[in-house]
Amino acid sequence: MGQINDIASVTLENEMDLILAHKRSMRLAELSGLSLSAQTTFATAVSEVSRIIIEGGRNGSLVLCVENEPREKNIIARLKAPNLSAEKVKKGLEYAKRLVNNYKVSTQDYETSIELYYYISPSFRIDILKLDEWRNHFRNEPLVSPYEELRRKNDQLQELSEKVKKSESQYRTLTNSLPLIIFSLDFSGQIIYANEWLSKLTGYSIERLNAGGWKNVVHEEDYELFNLHFKKGINKNTHSIKIQSRIKNSISGDYLWHEVSFTSFKNENDELENWIGYIVDIHKQKIFEETLKDNAELKQTQSELKEQQVAMETVIEELNRSNQELQQFAFIASHDLQEPVRKLLFYSDSLLGKYAPSFDSKGVEYLTIMHASALRMRILIHDLLTFSQINKSEINYRQIDLNELANTVKLDLEMLVTEKKAQIHINQLPSVDGDERMMRQLFTNILNNALKYSKAEVSPVIHITSKITGEYYELSFRDNGIGFEEQYLPQIFTLFQRLHSREIYEGTGLGLAICRKIVELHNGKIWAESKPSEGATFFIHLPI
Amino acid sequence: MNDYQILMIDDDPDDRWMMEDALNTIGVEGVISFALNGEHALQMLDSLYKDVRILKLIILDLNMPVMNGTETLDRIKKDPRFKSLPVIIYSTSINPNEKEKCMKLGATSYITKPVSFDESIQTAKTFLSFCN
Repeated sequence: MGQINDIASVTLENEMDLILAHKRSMRLAELSGLSLSAQTTFATAVSEVSRIIIEGGRNGSLVLCVENEPREKNIIARLKAPNLSAEKVKKGLEYAKRLVNNYKVSTQDYETSIELYYYISPSFRIDILKLDEWRNHFRNEPLVSPYEELRRKNDQLQELSEKVKKSESQYRTLTNSLPLIIFSLDFSGQIIYANEWLSKLTGYSIERLNAGGWKNVVHEEDYELFNLHFKKGINKNTHSIKIQSRIKNSISGDYLWHEVSFTSFKNENDELENWIGYIVDIHKQKIFEETLKDNAELKQTQSELKEQQVAMETVIEELNRSNQELQQFAFIASHDLQEPVRKLLFYSDSLLGKYAPSFDSKGVEYLTIMHASALRMRILIHDLLTFSQINKSEINYRQIDLNELANTVKLDLEMLVTEKKAQIHINQLPSVDGDERMMRQLFTNILNNALKYSKAEVSPVIHITSKITGEYYELSFRDNGIGFEEQYLPQIFTLFQRLHSREIYEGTGLGLAICRKIVELHNGKIWAESKPSEGATFFIHLPI
Repeated sequence: MNDYQILMIDDDPDDRWMMEDALNTIGVEGVISFALNGEHALQMLDSLYKDVRILKLIILDLNMPVMNGTETLDRIKKDPRFKSLPVIIYSTSINPNEKEKCMKLGATSYITKPVSFDESIQTAKTFLSFCN
């Protein structure tokens, strides 16, 4: 038997001793030059038996030795425990015996001893020096009691945990200090973490948001899309999503535009762990964009409007010029036409007057017709002239007593009135603002017509009355003449339109057209009502 | 020697003839003299009528070339030699504004040109009433 040298020992009383036993076994095996797996194997075997001893509540011990035979070297674990039952021994060795090269069991004085042999082949000599070195090693090992060991481990954990907490706290501080909302989501779209900005903005806690609170926070128009991406996008393993939604600010109650984006977060094994979300307030940006767009649209509309204005101005200019030309034309034409017409009249009249006896009846007839034509032409030209001269620039506004005016006109038409045996009744008429000459022309034309278009056998009776309707004076001229069909109403106020054949009723068709022009220049309206052979009533509205 | 008492200023030969004819019908001759337009009239007034007392009446048409009626009227009335002469405006028809303008410039009255023979006689008699 070779020399068996004790190197280290461990009492086996509790769990902590188990750790030490394992540790020392490993260490001895390591010092002996064994590989890591051999170390582990040996230490495991020792642990197996040690456990049984400790479990039994026996005050056992472990001594680690080295057998230094020239031809065979072993490290030995000698485990001793008092009153260890055979059953327990069997149990302990069941696994351990397979791990070691050899084992021995012996009992003496009610104390069981189990020895585990593990073959070693060191590359160095195990001499006295080496043995002492090893013993010293174990002696100089910081003598830690199991409790100290545990406490050390606890301290380490504590330190680690504190580091983690601090790191977490730093993270929280960082994310809270950023002016954007950061949160992380799990696969079902539930928020795991969010910085304080989320609840500050929405006014909702994480729990409430997870419980369906998002619906109250996102604008109803944007919620559908939001929810779609929130749930669908996350489940679908897309890498990142970006959407714009209006989110309600809990303090102001306003819905503001935010950009919501999600990015997938993969762990070190490149597996999808969760989603990191960001919500950024982009409201000002959006408004700015919209304003720019609006501005651009506005600018365009403005320029289009300007173009139209310019076009319109051109048209108006054209119309004005054309209008002016027409006026001038009408004036000049009628003015210059008057001369020759006058001559015609004069000479045909002279012929009829002075030289009628020289003509035969046919000749006289011809002359009469010629004279009559010339006369009509004169009236027509005169009316045209009057018409063309009625325009805005000619109005001289003055307060006119219409009663007075009506009576004046009645006097002007005295001859015709007498001839027709007519009666003109003028009821209380108001005073209006207008051009006196034009008003006089107006009354003259209407009364003239009333007298002219009377029934052959019936003396004309004309009533002029007035009343107030809304913002207008309503004047009415009612006669008992021949009347007209109301379907011709639009025509009678038009230039040169006549309803009756010339033989019966003299005159041109300009009279009422002149009336309408005058009335419209005074911002009024003129119309008539009539039934054939039941007279006619002409109405005039003039603003008060 | 010129002792025409009436000066008629009218560019229309027919009108001039008409008036002359009317006067002749009444039996008056050598009373009227004619100028063809305003400028002509002023020249005549200047050279032939150094003694203005003989001239009793000016008949003035409005629609004339070179110098029209209103300007002629204005010139006559502004000339100290002739401003006291009565001037009758004699025109086919007149727009009331024009009439007002003439009266303001100092016209004595206004007569529309006759359209019948009888009227022309009447007009001639009116003119003669200014003469002696």
